[in-house]
Amino acid sequence: MRPRTRWTYLILITVMAMVAAACGDDEGEGTTTLGATATTLTPSTTEGATETTAATETTAASGEPIRVGSTLALTGVFAPTAAIHKATGEVFVERINASGGLLGRPIEWILLDDESAPDLAAAAYERLITEDEVDLVLGPYGTGNITAAMAVAQRYGYVFPHHTASLTYAYTYECHFSSWSTGLHPNITNPNLLYDALESTGTPPETIGFVVNEFPGTMFISYGQPETEEGGAVTEAEKRGWEVVLDVTYPIATSDWGPLAAQVRDADPDFLYIAGLGVDAPNLITAMQAIDYSPDGMFVQWPAPGPLLGTEGADGIMSVTIFEEHPPFTDDPEAVEVAGMIDATLAESGVPYAKVETQAAASWTAWEYLQQAAEGAGSLDQQAMCDWLIDNGAQTLFHGDIEFFPDQQNYFEDLSKIKQVQDGEWYTVYPEEFAAPDRSVAFSPGG
Amino acid sequence: MSGRVRTLVGFVAIAVILGLAPNIQESLEFPRFYLIFLFTMFFWISQASSWNILTGYSGYFSFGQGAFYGVGVYTVGVLVVKQGWSFMTALPVAGLLAGLTGLLLGLVVFRVRRLTGEIFALTTLAIAFVLASVARLSTFIDGGTGIFMTGTPLPEFLGEFTTAAYRLTLAIALITVVVAYLIHDSRLGWGLFAIRDDEPVAEGLGVPTFRYKMVALGANALLAGLMGGVWSLQLGFVTVDDVFNIRVPLFVILMSVLGGMRHWMGPVIGAVIITTLTDRLNSAGLADVNQIIIGGMLVVLALAVREGVYVRMRRRWLTTAVTFFGVLGLATLLDLNDSLISDFAYAMVATVVVMLVPDRVWAQFADLFRRSEPVEEPTEAEDLTRTGP
Amino acid sequence: MELLAQGIVSGILVGGLYALMSIGISLSWGALKIINLAHFSFILLSAYIVYQLTVSFEVDPLLMVLVVAPLFFLVGVLVQMFFHLAKVDEFKSLIITFGLFIIFQSAMQTIWSADFRRIGPVLNPYETQSFFVGGIAFQLPQLVAFVVALLIAGGMWLTFTRTYFGKAVRAVAQDPEMARAFGIDSRRVAVILSGLSTAFSALAGVFIAIGQTMFPELAVAWFGIIFPIVILGGLGNSLGTLTAGVIIGVAAGVSSVLWGPLSAPLVTFTILIVALLFRPEGLITKRSIA
Repeated sequence: MRPRTRWTYLILITVMAMVAAACGDDEGEGTTTLGATATTLTPSTTEGATETTAATETTAASGEPIRVGSTLALTGVFAPTAAIHKATGEVFVERINASGGLLGRPIEWILLDDESAPDLAAAAYERLITEDEVDLVLGPYGTGNITAAMAVAQRYGYVFPHHTASLTYAYTYECHFSSWSTGLHPNITNPNLLYDALESTGTPPETIGFVVNEFPGTMFISYGQPETEEGGAVTEAEKRGWEVVLDVTYPIATSDWGPLAAQVRDADPDFLYIAGLGVDAPNLITAMQAIDYSPDGMFVQWPAPGPLLGTEGADGIMSVTIFEEHPPFTDDPEAVEVAGMIDATLAESGVPYAKVETQAAASWTAWEYLQQAAEGAGSLDQQAMCDWLIDNGAQTLFHGDIEFFPDQQNYFEDLSKIKQVQDGEWYTVYPEEFAAPDRSVAFSPGG
Repeated sequence: MSGRVRTLVGFVAIAVILGLAPNIQESLEFPRFYLIFLFTMFFWISQASSWNILTGYSGYFSFGQGAFYGVGVYTVGVLVVKQGWSFMTALPVAGLLAGLTGLLLGLVVFRVRRLTGEIFALTTLAIAFVLASVARLSTFIDGGTGIFMTGTPLPEFLGEFTTAAYRLTLAIALITVVVAYLIHDSRLGWGLFAIRDDEPVAEGLGVPTFRYKMVALGANALLAGLMGGVWSLQLGFVTVDDVFNIRVPLFVILMSVLGGMRHWMGPVIGAVIITTLTDRLNSAGLADVNQIIIGGMLVVLALAVREGVYVRMRRRWLTTAVTFFGVLGLATLLDLNDSLISDFAYAMVATVVVMLVPDRVWAQFADLFRRSEPVEEPTEAEDLTRTGP
Repeated sequence: MELLAQGIVSGILVGGLYALMSIGISLSWGALKIINLAHFSFILLSAYIVYQLTVSFEVDPLLMVLVVAPLFFLVGVLVQMFFHLAKVDEFKSLIITFGLFIIFQSAMQTIWSADFRRIGPVLNPYETQSFFVGGIAFQLPQLVAFVVALLIAGGMWLTFTRTYFGKAVRAVAQDPEMARAFGIDSRRVAVILSGLSTAFSALAGVFIAIGQTMFPELAVAWFGIIFPIVILGGLGNSLGTLTAGVIIGVAAGVSSVLWGPLSAPLVTFTILIVALLFRPEGLITKRSIA
């Protein structure tokens, strides 16, 4: 190598190293605030807050910041959905700081990247708690990461609100608080909710097929808890007298959906239950369309909502939800306002489907737990906050009033609703009291 | 004192100092996170070193570190959580099973004469995918539901969780490095190097190539599995995708290449550097940039430092010591930041940068101060990064 | 049975796409002795670019071939020139290209976010279209990809066996010094070959954009598919790569249909290992560049 080239590299490295070292000095914010243009707050009382009055609306929070530490999968396999949680958190922090802060002090969110790896998540939480000495923690995204982080929080006695852990049965820490709307037995309650919805049409399916992503959460919902094997979408369907004509598990990193589509077509179920995540559904539906097949009805467990809307043949597919941007959810002006802010931030960060739904709602609620625990206990003492939450529950914007049942591992009942893609948009359709105006479950075998 | 005795005494000294770290941490009230930082480093030191025993010494490039690591993780997971064994009984079994996997692989693959170079490498990668697939399919092992390692009881004498994890990883890392060292300076090591330089010639010289390769592969696999078993505790929730992914196999390559693959200290240095840098970059919240910097580093370092940083450090040992401790001292005294780890990172980066000065330039400086021998650029024959085909 | 037949057909066609993704790396490795991991990023980057241009300018995604092929040809040329400047050998190329891979991944995530990207059915009518032959569907994107792969593989074979350039490549692959002694500008040969490799990968990216939803981690998922095909097919052997792609595709498809999708990776990798053990010679000799 010529000397000049070597020098170039040397200089390059030195510069990089200096930059890296200099940045290593910055112990503060891990987030880049997007400077979301927040809509002006309309005077309204924040639900559940015990001391913010209209007068403090314009008072900026002051004093030493309260530091909240957490990680998210900013890179790696979980990154697509983690982006939603990042945006939601940023909106929450901005909003609370603009209206008096927490206990009068501004919140500083220290967000680290766990790279979708549980061991890194665990290490990051140890750092946040023992080196950065944060006052509060919030859970990460992704079941594995949440599990690892929860163990750390438990070790140091930190209250642990988290949003998306799907393996509910495993969480026994007394001070964990989940905002995942399914309650303790999603493997029983979730499928039954769907099946009730189907029966409410008067024309339920007679045959049903299952394609299950080999992800622990979806396996749990479909087949029940590993040891006990109680419940599970498949068993619950059989209890209704429906015939299970297909039951296939597929790997998470499936790239060729043709064979699976062929199998579904071959089994030809009245209703197809896709226990899948992310873009499993659009991929499978597209593959089925390509072989000229379309089931009469479909359900997908935890889809990325946006891509599904743009998929041919996806009309009529159902999923679970906790919040959608239409009445009756939008009857609450504050929910509308917050949703608007989150939408704006999502759009700014380049997320294609910039609307609040289950993920963002769960994230917001977890933050609310933290806020209400601190405000209720009047301090940042972890045990006090934990006790307060268990005794008083939380009043949340998107999930309504929540009570934590210690004998149910702090879970509450299943709050999920069923939504369906109709006319190219998601609408809640069941239970009736939450259905969008003039919308109801649309399903009939052979139709 | 002969070199070997000196080194072994050195090991004991380090073992003692590091072993006391948890106590030091508590009495001097350092953040507990330092222990986690250290034991993460131990994890990588062990993985990189064990990998290097096979690839660096023998030249048989392995992409299979993930496979052996995975066997270790899952053995502990299944035995402890699903079968109710105690952790300390399951751990050695994890190592043995991983070692066995390596030996089986070797039996099949080393017998095929023409399976050298890049093909061997990709066969090892294929093994990892096969094992991952098996783990997914078998409900006995995983079956897609994952294994919860949180709450696994550990023996009392190890202390509470963090201390226990620390001690276990320290022990295994020490064992790994000592093994790497012992092999390096032994007949076995000489034989492996001969294989690496030219296998047919080595055979002609009477080196029992098959046996030696098996030992290297077996050692690599066993140690990787052992550390994997311990690491299952840190993972908390074990899933096929978290365990059998590209992270472990690729990072051990990066670390070993960076540090130098010819010497047993190379992977250690490489692991220390990479772990520290990624940790600090991550803590600075430079999430996106972190990846780019690592990538960029990889490119630049592979180009600029052929034989690995360690060899240069050794040649320029005085400068290394002065730079490192000098900067460390300065950083600590000036209290530039709140974390000892950051101070350490500065010192390390400074040292690495100094190491990057090309040999030719360095030689001129050396001559100026009339050092012992003029520094030579490694010749083609000594190109120490040349492993594989 | 119809199901099995469909599985086989799907497998063959998708095998063509896999082969298209693999040819670039195979050529680069076999002829240039460079294990270019960055190809995975190139494929994905090309897909993202196709997505972006299609969505922003509302044009037919297939037309994007005319954009990305030349663009990535240039990229390949530049990359090869860089490698030549740095005197990179096989092993080092692995490290360096892995570094490049990480950089590209990061860049893609920064530009397009980690979220899922998909060209909608309006702009991309191809994704659900198929030809039907007696109830068996031939999916359009895969079919076109297969045809393209066939043309390229055939074209490369002809080039390597019939043209001067092709012979020059083989000479350089066998012994660069000797080739130079005979007056072959090995540098120019290498640069052109690199450009072609990258262009092929870019073409694969077009079909990814048409047939799949994109997100940054997608490139990582391809490791387990492309490497077996590259090895099985023989380094530098385009026709071999196509055959290997089809074998892998069919094996995966059939096993998926018979024993469930979870068995597919097991089957494909077992095939690979068995093939490696019993026929490594026939697959990996340098002379097999064709």
